[in-house]
This record gives sequence, C-alpha cells and structure tokens, in this order.
Amino acid sequence: MWARALAGIVPGFLLSAGLVGLLTWSLPGSWQGTLVPGIVAFFAVWIGVMAASFQFANGKRAWACLSALALATLGALWVLQTLRWIE
Amino acid sequence: MKLSSNTLRTFTTLHTWVGLVAGFALFVAFYAGAITIFHHELQAWQSPHGVERPVETLDDAQHLLDETLSRHPEARKHVGMVFPGDEYPVTATYWQDAQGQWRFATLDALDGTDEMPGGALSELVNALHYSLGIPVAGAYLMGIVSLLYGLALVSGVIIHLPKLVDDLFALRPGRNLKRLWQDAHNVIGVLSLPMHVMFAVTGALLCLVMVVMFALNPLVYRGQLMQALGPAMDTAPQIAAAGRAQAPGSLAMWQARSIEIARAQGLESFEPAYLKLANAGDANATVEITGESPGALGPLGAVALNANTGALLSTQLPGQRDANHVTLAAAYALHFGEYGNVWVRWLYFLLGLGGAFLFYSGNLLWIESRRKRRQAQQGRAQLWMARATVGVCIGVCVAISVAFVATQWLQSGAMRDAAQLGFGVNLACFVAWGLCALWAALRPPIRAAQELLWLAAIVTTAVPFAHGLATGAWWWTSAAAGHWDLFAIDAGALAIAVGFAWLARVTARRAREGEPNSVWTAVPSTATAPVEAPQT
Repeated sequence: MWARALAGIVPGFLLSAGLVGLLTWSLPGSWQGTLVPGIVAFFAVWIGVMAASFQFANGKRAWACLSALALATLGALWVLQTLRWIE
Repeated sequence: MKLSSNTLRTFTTLHTWVGLVAGFALFVAFYAGAITIFHHELQAWQSPHGVERPVETLDDAQHLLDETLSRHPEARKHVGMVFPGDEYPVTATYWQDAQGQWRFATLDALDGTDEMPGGALSELVNALHYSLGIPVAGAYLMGIVSLLYGLALVSGVIIHLPKLVDDLFALRPGRNLKRLWQDAHNVIGVLSLPMHVMFAVTGALLCLVMVVMFALNPLVYRGQLMQALGPAMDTAPQIAAAGRAQAPGSLAMWQARSIEIARAQGLESFEPAYLKLANAGDANATVEITGESPGALGPLGAVALNANTGALLSTQLPGQRDANHVTLAAAYALHFGEYGNVWVRWLYFLLGLGGAFLFYSGNLLWIESRRKRRQAQQGRAQLWMARATVGVCIGVCVAISVAFVATQWLQSGAMRDAAQLGFGVNLACFVAWGLCALWAALRPPIRAAQELLWLAAIVTTAVPFAHGLATGAWWWTSAAAGHWDLFAIDAGALAIAVGFAWLARVTARRAREGEPNSVWTAVPSTATAPVEAPQT
C-alpha cells in the first residue's frame, strides 16, 4: 500500500502537472487565460491519479509506470513549449 | 458493474484508512463549517449593540478612508475596505504595514489594530473550520486532509459502485444496527456526493494553492506564473505610480460609477461590497470595486476605475468574465454557499451537519466491523477509537457551544477589549474541548458518549439564554423586531440542542438494548473493567 501511495503522491504529482499543463496550454488562447481553471483542475486530476495508482499490482510497477508517464507528459509539454507550438 | 475482488479489497482498505486518518479533522471542519455559513449573522449576534447600532453610512466610510490614508502612509500604496451595508454593518479598512503585517481600522479604532474587526466568536468558528484553530500549519494540514477526503470519496464510490443502485435507498432498520448505520452512511455519502467532491477540490485549493503554484511554476508555467497571477485574479490592471499628486475621487462617485457600468452591461443589480484602492493620491491611482449581482453563479463581479476620474479601466462582471474569473468566482461561491437565496445557505448548513454525520458514522462502522462477537473484552484499538470519536467529535460540539455562551458572558462583563475577549473565548473553547477529550479517555465510551451528549444539549440550550441575558435580545423580541438573523441563530441553537438530547436518549437505548459485547453496550460488563463471570 505504502509504495503505491507514495507513487501516487510523488510521480503522480508530476504526471498530473504534465496532464494539466498539456491540456491548458493546448486550449485556444494564451496559457494565462486558463491559469485558474488549470490549477483547480490540477487538484481533481491529482486525486484521481492517486486513487488510480492503487490499481497497480505492486509499488515497483506503480513507480515505474507513473514516473515514465510523468516524464513523457512533462517532456512533451517542454518540447511543445520550446518549439512554440503551444503558448 | 463488476469489479475484481482484489480491486474491491484494495479500495476498501484505502477508504477505511484515509477515512480514519482524515475523519476527525473533517468532522470538526464540517460542524464548524456548517455554522460558518452564517458568518455574517454570527457577527451581528455576537456584537452587544449589533441591533441598536445604526447602520453606518457612506459618509462614515468616507471619513474612515480619509483618516486611514492620512494616518497610515503605508495604506496609500494598497488599501482595501468594505462598503457599509446589510452584509457588513460596520465598515473597516485593511492594509499591510512595512513588515507585511495586516492592519485594520474602524471608526472606533482609527489608529489601527492587528485584530480583524467582526468579533472573536465568528473568527474562532471560522478558524476551527479551516485550520482546526492551529495557527499557520493548520491550514496546510487541512489541505492535506482535503486531499485524503478526495481519496475517501473516490474509493467510497468505487466500492459501492457494484451495488450502488440497489443499495441507494435501502435503509434497513431492525436488529442489525450496524447495517442500518452502514445504509445511512452510504445514502448520505452518495446523495451529497457532488457537494463533497466540490468541497474536497475547493478545500484543497483554498488551503494548498500557494504551495502547489510554487511547485507548478517551473514544471508547467516556465517560471512565469507569478507575473501572470495578478492579471488572472485581479480586475484592475497594475499601473505604476506616476509620481504626480492628484486628489482621489469619493466613495460615492466610485459606487455610482460601478453601478452605472454594471447596468450598461445588462446587470439589473450590482451592490458594491468591497474595494481595493492602489496608489491613493497619485495621478495613476486605480480602484477595483467588487460587488454582488444576485442570480449569477459566482455572484461577485468587479469593476476597475481610474480612482481620480472614474474612467473605466476594465470589468469582470457576471456574464462577461474570462475563464480565470469565472472559475475563481464559481469556486468561491460554491465553497461558501454564496449564491442563490437564503435556502441555499440552509441547504449548505444541513449538508454540513450531514457531512459531520458521515465521518462520525464512518468511525462507528470501523469499530463495529472489528467487534469480537463472543468476547466481552474488546480490543484496545476499538476501545480507543471509540474514546477518541466521542472525545473529539462530541467534544467539539460542546466546545463550540461553550464558546457561544462565553462570548456573551465575557463581553457583558469586563472584557470589552477585543484582544482580551478573543483570548477568553478561545481559551474557553479549547479548555472545554480538552476536558471533554479527557473525560472520554477516562470513562467507558458508552457512558462518556451519553454524558457528553447531555452536556452538549445543556450548553447549547444555554446559548440563546446567554444571548438574551447579556444583550436583552431574546429570541421572541428579535422575531418581533424583524431581526431574523438573530432569531435564526437562537432558534437554531435550540433545535440543535433538541437534536443532542435525542441522540443522548438513542445512545442510552443502544447501551441497554443493543447487542452485547460491544464498546457501546452497558451490559454485561464494559471493556474497561476486567471480565466478570456472567451472572445467571
């Protein structure tokens, strides 16, 4: 339980940040325009990710999977932001 | 819907543990929060001359603003103030001094104080609601509790999902008391679920927003969040001071202009509630007037003006707001129940009490499901869980009522000074709470539960009497004079006192007639005493 809970808290936080970032930056208009909805949504998304992390078979998989997803979403966000494909 | 037994087991464990960890704090937050819904009514109730005192006028407010600006140069940079009106009978200004400390001034205290005007009692109940009364760390703690509460909701829905529809309206009274409690826990949880989801998210938001923004800034916003925050949350644009002096406009002018602008945007009513004035006395002074337009979800909207000329700078009014301001206004209004009419607030009050029941019943279910049926001696964990539940939950109900009585009693005596009164009311509340917890720790849980419930009933009954004795405002005179806010608090206290008495009687019946071998039974021997041979 504990390993999976921590996976939901730490890499889960980063994954939620990546997901919310991708969504709010991809919406039409400037990123500043969706600042508050994004932060409100972040809390709901993070709670969802934390709950979902208990579905993994064990803590090791939860950490590996959530870390990989967090890296992928935050990486994609960073690339898209740097290329100025989203702003 | 079918879930694997493994999933069910995982989420049942999760639900149990986050519920236990967060349940006590959530009970306090919901019970105090239900009362905080009537924050403004409470301010009138606790003020000794709240009724006779004439409502302050715009001229009084103008005088206060002029005095604040001339006496406190720091306030010229940035000052807030509430308009006198129904909502706030006493107008006040507030600003940050050179050390970043908030200062407040009223007509009675033009030199400024560190105490927020409005009264010790409503502040205490509010502080219990958002921080359990713990300074600084309490708000962060409650933010974490809100996240756990969100997890409890998700896991609760998942474990009830397979039988959700079948069980929803099943309330099965009868011999099996545990099942009745389980049914009540489920039906209240599911029916008020949208409300609870909203509280979990907005509660976490209100408590943790600063921490989370700090973390999200480099991850998502490339370090530019702090600059973007002002425009996203304020209405007035940030304009640097020009360095040229210019006399500011008047409150009356700002009020008239903001109403005129709101009308022009198609809003039937706009009642200015508070304002923020920046760079007062400068040629570039700006003022942001926030007011209420009833009938909108997120009724608060704002108009920003050049403070000297009244020229329109920008608006964020219902119907014409950007996504940031819509979300912000909706989140606030939904959390505080500040939309719709007075029925919405009564609904929030009842749902708040219902939420408190949810957490209390959750603890009871934990104890009952671990009961050893054939054994008189119950486990230590169950016994202490019962003691903690009684001491913390019923204790806080007693303590809040004690604070109500103490407020009236102390301010009718010598403690008219706001700081002293605040200290006295807080002391009374936390000492009463501590004594209740101690009592619950020393007595068998079933006895402590009955005794503390009777105590809660008595102290809560004393609330309207203390009010009447101290101020002469008895509930019937309040009703006759049309002061329904005062009447509602007195009558509400009596109704809650009846509720406590009823619970005490039901608990006594459980002790007599319920299943034996429980921490809640008085027969045969309670768990505190060594097991005696059953007498035949």
